[in-house]
Amino acid sequence: MTNHSDVAIIGGGPAGQAAALTLDDLKLKTVVIDEQPRAGGQILRQPPRSFQIPAWMEDRTYAPLVKLLRRFEAQTSINWIGSHSVIGLRRRPDGLFTLTLCSPDGLRLVTAARVLIAAGCQDLAVPLPGWTLPGVYSAGGMQALLKAQRIVPGGHIVLAGTHPLQLLIAAQIVEAGGSVAAVLFSQPRGTMLKAGIRNGLRALDQLSAAFPAIRALATLRSHGVKVLYDAPIQAICGTDRVAAAQHPGGEIACDAVGLCYGFVSQSSLPRMMSAKMRKAGPAGGWATLCDEWMQSSIPGLYVAGETTGIAGANAAMASGKIAGFGIAAELGAISQDEAARRVSRHRANHRSLLRFARLLDEIADPRPFFPALRDDTLVCRCEEVALAQIDPVLDGRSANAVKLVTRCGMGLCQGRNCEPTLLRLLDNPNDPGFTARFPARPVAIGDLAT
Amino acid sequence: MRKSDVLIVGGGLIGCATAWYLAREGAKVTLLDSGDFGMGASGQNAGSLHFQLERRFLENGDALAEQAARIAALSRLAISDWSSLEADLATDLHITMNGGLMVAETAEECALLERKITRENAEGLQTRMIDGDEARQIAPYLSEAICAAGYSPDEGHADARLVTHAIAIAAAKDGTVLRPRCRVQSIEKAGRKYVISTAEEQFAASQILIACGAWTAHVAAMLNLHIPLFPVGLLMNATERVAQAVPHLVQHVGRRLSMKQTHSGNLLIGGGWPSRMALDAEGRFALYRPPAVIESSLRDNLRVAIDVAPMIATISLIRSWTGITAISADQLPIVGEIPAMPGCWVAGGGSAFTLGPTFARLIAQSMSGKKREELEIVAPSRFSHLNSFMGQ
Repeated sequence: MTNHSDVAIIGGGPAGQAAALTLDDLKLKTVVIDEQPRAGGQILRQPPRSFQIPAWMEDRTYAPLVKLLRRFEAQTSINWIGSHSVIGLRRRPDGLFTLTLCSPDGLRLVTAARVLIAAGCQDLAVPLPGWTLPGVYSAGGMQALLKAQRIVPGGHIVLAGTHPLQLLIAAQIVEAGGSVAAVLFSQPRGTMLKAGIRNGLRALDQLSAAFPAIRALATLRSHGVKVLYDAPIQAICGTDRVAAAQHPGGEIACDAVGLCYGFVSQSSLPRMMSAKMRKAGPAGGWATLCDEWMQSSIPGLYVAGETTGIAGANAAMASGKIAGFGIAAELGAISQDEAARRVSRHRANHRSLLRFARLLDEIADPRPFFPALRDDTLVCRCEEVALAQIDPVLDGRSANAVKLVTRCGMGLCQGRNCEPTLLRLLDNPNDPGFTARFPARPVAIGDLAT
Repeated sequence: MRKSDVLIVGGGLIGCATAWYLAREGAKVTLLDSGDFGMGASGQNAGSLHFQLERRFLENGDALAEQAARIAALSRLAISDWSSLEADLATDLHITMNGGLMVAETAEECALLERKITRENAEGLQTRMIDGDEARQIAPYLSEAICAAGYSPDEGHADARLVTHAIAIAAAKDGTVLRPRCRVQSIEKAGRKYVISTAEEQFAASQILIACGAWTAHVAAMLNLHIPLFPVGLLMNATERVAQAVPHLVQHVGRRLSMKQTHSGNLLIGGGWPSRMALDAEGRFALYRPPAVIESSLRDNLRVAIDVAPMIATISLIRSWTGITAISADQLPIVGEIPAMPGCWVAGGGSAFTLGPTFARLIAQSMSGKKREELEIVAPSRFSHLNSFMGQ
């Protein structure tokens, strides 16, 4: 079954929603595809419809995003395809795009004149001794369980890393009735404050974005949760599962650990298309390069939100609007002048949000604080490749060559999780990373053969 | 100027193995590659060890099939070379030689199999025809639609990720100078010596081997020579890891398929399905960029795999990858000394994983003065006319 749309948007988070509403307003036929059954992205990952949750995401930080989401969901003229992964994307010789969508019900194809990739980001996976024990999560994974499933993953939780988001997640856990043993920041408080003050002046207009962190600190204090600075997590201890988190000041007993070192863009689709990429922020990963209308180096392929670099939900919303107007102008649904006039305030907003994102990058910079690996620490979890197997073959090789010799990156996740670690170990600024290969997600052979 | 007995351009299986065989006999060898060793077709192929006559030789008429059958002599040597390789290297290369089945689904294909096996037996290969039931007894995963198979007890596979890497290490231990990530800028013939220049160094030797797969024609051009090897972009597919179920190499006599299960449990599915090579700014094939997957190739390749082994349908594909190999103007490999340019050897062009160690051993022996007649069938002399107006 083939569906044709003017625009196919990959990702139903704030960027995708904002772009879709813009395009729909201008009468362009728009389809939005997402892996989750319901729209919202990671920031507003929604519970199943059958759940009845009073006061879901009521914190005022989320208010503009919730408003956007409700407007998006109410817009019946936008075609929503949930529970589908885009596993392949191709630009045909006639300039149209074909998207291959995969779901438990099989494959389907969608064609579109323009494509917008707003596929969001994922937690940076950070290996350390003990990180494969049951009970270790990415902090974002913990938050997803909390938001969408109303599950507090663990009885006694340690959050550890360098990113201030862990304060918000810890506060959400205690507010949901969970218990947080401690929040460990690897960096000294002074380092964070200095980075904040040094860059804060450049982002004064967005300082209100720091309020949630301040409120979270107050919540944690009132619940008696320790927030430690200069306390880099070194190892996670336990035999069958997590028992304690180790830092230079001692061990903290716990049964779950959430690691929070920052986020990396989802980049498999733009890289499969050979779009021009740049090294993203200090956390690593790849951001897709784009012009002032959010068009990538591939004609007709647009990018917005975290796909263009980690900058948060509000920046994603702004860039989605810019992309929406850019695509609409290119398709002739609005004049170039009109589009330029209507995006100008979103552009200004976007720029100022990006300044705040850079401030956050600097405060959260994980680079000096990555935990030391032991010989038996797994770098690639899918293929169970330990540092001891990788270290002897680094030797100037490319990431692809190390992958070939060691299987690091050959597994189910296609290297999404281990690539940043391997690139840090290789320390070659010119290495383009693993060659992106079809399919972006595993897919049953039988589905592809028909 | 670094002097050696032999310079080898191309750190693939043939290049590395030739260096190793030469170095073991005490020759001074320098081995160069523009990238990391084993990153071209040697590392990207799916590791088949196939000794039955290839399907591609059968689909283009009897004359070619007849000629190609003479490769069987080389296949016989390859069986023994692969059998001893792990012991010689003292390394586990995941070589398994549990037998291979080339299956048929139609009466026409059965007839083709029969003709093929007659040819192979005449050349001394131990293949035999078995019926569908016997095939399913040997390989219970085969579909009921399989009506016959050519069975070779020696076929199997090796881990292409490991072989070239391990041989390069062995060659270095025996004294070979390795120069990975070292692009050849020019090759000149100065008297009886060949001189290679790279950005940083110069190398000289009286013999040179060009074994760069799809890049061979480019490198030979530095000596003003034509080598009719053409780049070919192929598709291969890997499934998730599953319990060991397919201990054989599985091929199809009438459709494109090669299938095996790796040591780690991934099923590798290929068989010569094309991918689309990228073009550079001048419109020539871009050899440094991965070819694009052709959707119909992918679909049809997986279709054959399911038709042959239905259980595959429910297993997940985790990666389709493309790689570039080289094919010669007449489909047979090109291996030997170039008549117009004594001391200049070339090797490549098809079946170069299965036959790679054997080509390497025979080249090494021939370079040392023990000429090996087995290479006659693949000698570059059959293309001498192309170099009538070339050389220096």
